[in-house]
Amino acid sequence: MKRSPLQTFLLYACVVVTLVIILFPVYWLIVTALSTTVELSGLPPSFWPEMPQWGVFTKVWNERPIPLWLLNSALAALGSVALSMVVSVLAGYALSRFNVRGGHGLGLFILTAKMLPATLLVIPLFAIFRQLGMIGNLWTLVLAHATLIIPFTTWMLKGYFDTIPRELEQAAMVDGCSPLGALWRVILPVSTPGLAATALYAFVLSWADYAYARTFLINSQDSWTANLGIATMRGEYTTDWNEISAAAVFVALPIIIIYLFLERYLVGGLTAGAEK
Amino acid sequence: MSKSGIFDLARPSRQHILGYLLLAPAVFLVLLIIAYPLLISLDLSFQDVKLPRIGETRKPFTLTNYQRLFSSSEFWMACWVTLKLVAAVTVGSLIVGVSTALLVNQRFAGRTLARIAVALPWAVPEVIAVVIFAWIFDSSFGLMSWILVKLGLADGMVAWMSTPGAAFWALTVTMIWKGFPFVSIMTLAGLQSIPTDYYAAAKVDGANALQRFRWITIPCLMPVLGVTLVLVMLWVFRDFSIIKVLTEGGPLKSTQTLSIMTYDQAFGFFKFGYASAVGIVTLIICVVASLAMLGRGSKALY
Amino acid sequence: MKTLIKSAALAALTAGLMTSVAALPAAAETLKFVSWQVDDGGMGDWWKAAIEKFEAEHPGVTIEFTKVERASYADTMTTLFAGGQPPHIVHLASFEYQNFAENGWMENLDPWLEKDGIDLAGWAGQGTCRWNDETACIMMLYFGFMMAYNPQILADANVEVPTNYEEFLDAARATTKDLNGDGITDQFGTGHETKGGAGQYLTEMLNYILDAGAYWTDKDGNITIDTPEMVEGLTRWKTVVEEGLTPVDMSAGDVRKLFADGKIAMRLDGPWLYGTMEEGAAADVLEVAKPPFNPPLGGSSNVLGMASEISDEQKELVWDFIKITMSPEFQRSYATVAGNTPPSPAADVSGVEKDVPHFQIIVDTQKAAAAAGIDRIPTGLEIQYGEFGKMVQEEVQRMLIEDLDPADVVKTMQEKAEAIQNG
Repeated sequence: MKRSPLQTFLLYACVVVTLVIILFPVYWLIVTALSTTVELSGLPPSFWPEMPQWGVFTKVWNERPIPLWLLNSALAALGSVALSMVVSVLAGYALSRFNVRGGHGLGLFILTAKMLPATLLVIPLFAIFRQLGMIGNLWTLVLAHATLIIPFTTWMLKGYFDTIPRELEQAAMVDGCSPLGALWRVILPVSTPGLAATALYAFVLSWADYAYARTFLINSQDSWTANLGIATMRGEYTTDWNEISAAAVFVALPIIIIYLFLERYLVGGLTAGAEK
Repeated sequence: MSKSGIFDLARPSRQHILGYLLLAPAVFLVLLIIAYPLLISLDLSFQDVKLPRIGETRKPFTLTNYQRLFSSSEFWMACWVTLKLVAAVTVGSLIVGVSTALLVNQRFAGRTLARIAVALPWAVPEVIAVVIFAWIFDSSFGLMSWILVKLGLADGMVAWMSTPGAAFWALTVTMIWKGFPFVSIMTLAGLQSIPTDYYAAAKVDGANALQRFRWITIPCLMPVLGVTLVLVMLWVFRDFSIIKVLTEGGPLKSTQTLSIMTYDQAFGFFKFGYASAVGIVTLIICVVASLAMLGRGSKALY
Repeated sequence: MKTLIKSAALAALTAGLMTSVAALPAAAETLKFVSWQVDDGGMGDWWKAAIEKFEAEHPGVTIEFTKVERASYADTMTTLFAGGQPPHIVHLASFEYQNFAENGWMENLDPWLEKDGIDLAGWAGQGTCRWNDETACIMMLYFGFMMAYNPQILADANVEVPTNYEEFLDAARATTKDLNGDGITDQFGTGHETKGGAGQYLTEMLNYILDAGAYWTDKDGNITIDTPEMVEGLTRWKTVVEEGLTPVDMSAGDVRKLFADGKIAMRLDGPWLYGTMEEGAAADVLEVAKPPFNPPLGGSSNVLGMASEISDEQKELVWDFIKITMSPEFQRSYATVAGNTPPSPAADVSGVEKDVPHFQIIVDTQKAAAAAGIDRIPTGLEIQYGEFGKMVQEEVQRMLIEDLDPADVVKTMQEKAEAIQNG
């Protein structure tokens, strides 16, 4: 369908206005990184620093082990993605396809992981992992993050599997496929958008965690994740917000790259869906 | 792994066993990470305990914590604040999230960039997002006040964090900014999975754009949106870091949610027994709310 | 090929996740020491020097010195203790250690002091470390407040450096200005934290309350809020905030930066303000004076102790470390390196004023505050300090928001404080 020039104009106007509003805080983050404190606490606000302090990025990069923090965050996130994808694909498939008695109840039980205030989880979890000798170990984070991720991804994938006609796998099973084989060969390929969204969700959630990293990695500076590292940049009496903002830009970049990569698969579902 | 064994499980009569097997890893993880802390918290909520030591002998059973809780106006106030915040943020995120998703689902030059831009707030860690918004909502040099003054909407700088209503809205805006991209991404993924021939068929039948949206887009999005909204809701229920840094629950407890109350009682006042009682009640409210949303949603769908 | 990449990635992932296990130190003994002061210019260097000396004297023993930021510090320490793995060397703020000591988690230091014949008479603020008739910790810092000011701003407004509350108020009024004429104040007479944690909020208010002759409790722990003096103290606080003489809703950290950048005329703060002052845009002009309030605000800051459930060998080592920090050498460097007033009465601080020009002022206010028995933690409310502080902060905010009469507010606060004290 062709748009009229007016429609095109309105569309672009909408896009521009929306993006300006949404991106403004991110832009402000960069301005904060590049400004001196004097400029930040003045009116009218300056929308671009007179002398952008680009050196802040190299300063932060050189003074703090940012590559190590990013690596640790990436390891924890990839581990969480892998673990939660496997577990939630199986669970989501079971909830969607098998009439498990109490399946709905079990599904809700999985969701309780999202309901208890984190404040109450921290101390008992610390005690468990201490007894297992896992304090200061990135695996601990992977396990804890996966538990936060699985409830959502399970439900989300169940939703996706529900929209896929059962005839597809029944046909495959008639051809001699096991239920798991049908899941692997028939269901998963047409669930790309769901899987991509799942992976993205898992990655972002693990990447954004601070509370668990704070508790489990306390005494092992070598395995500090990016958010934990950034938090330790806060001082008791004052905090250099421009340096923290600069570090935050480094931390946000990998997520943007991941999204760039996964966005294709979110869109890829368009063609898969059309073939249904 | 013998083929016949799997076939056995595939038989309709045995299928539920396979179902349980597939669910087992998820349930095991949740049991390990959630159930044990949950039991500990439940146990603590029935004891008059200040600072607990995990594994030590428990104190005598008591209902004091719950009695105190239900008779304290602070608790009911926190319930009310939580409800308001959950409603405001969930509705706000839904509106902004779905409309941005529909917008960037259109074809136009630079669409990929626009999609990334919409998802960007999600990538900014909460701790950092709060810092940005704290500057924007700063009462002395903040941009938001300045804009309001310039537009003639305010007489002078707004004291965001020491005016109960203003603090609540500053918090709501911050949380919507952080929460809507998730709805947006999920909606976008949902939109991609709607077969295009549905639309083609509807067009042949003479349905206009609004009707197509109402009868195709919305129903197809429901399964994804339902879970997404429950997740946003639970996120607001549990959120701690945004409120803690931005308003600390103040002023005058106007932004003190159940989760902030739990934290204050536990780590601020060292009353873990009481805090656990608040947490358990929060959990129960969450279960009931999720049941209401998911139970109804899923039944209406199929 | 694809599988090869996959398995390589998997192997790398597994290896990466495991490194933290493999990297466990091989040393004979490692003492864990968590602190929020690791990166703080002066204090961090001082601790690191003490650790270096300890490790040189105890070959094979290392101290793992890890930072936990102040904002999450109490939570993290609570988790470590409650979860059963406290750090060996326990570093806490002087207003939060009591709950840990009350649970029996901190070693009684009396036998250790006795064994080495150490007398703590005259050790500033050490009284705060007595808990249930035991010495639960050693006071690391007892400070006095100073008043830093910006002579240029004062001169522009034609006011002198104030020496009492009335002059202070006049000076603050004269220096609060809208410089660019857009109707919004951009230069403030003074600066206080009015958002954020209760602890800092109460500290900022105490400047005025103490000068008005009031305090939260008396020496026996009776609540003394409902007094004419407290009404006067609250009235002063209300005046300063309501007249907009301080920026509102700011954290103390941001206020310090504002002051250092020359947008605030006068700031009452502890010795630590100096570090921020030196980094700000107005660093060259800022000066330090005696605070205009009497008695000056002072107080205990942070304490050092040991966990009670570690092995006897570890206790010996921790005690050796604590003794190093108490030694005359390190008590002197507490002043020279960290720019703080050492608590030891025997500390030789001669010549420090050459490097730290305001040193005599903070020594004087420390002594004045100690002589008046000032502390931020009210006797009789130590355990409930968190809850008490939150209550006071809220009632004061209510007074400001709803424009209540301080005379009524003190009555409410007295009642609520007694309820908190009686549990």
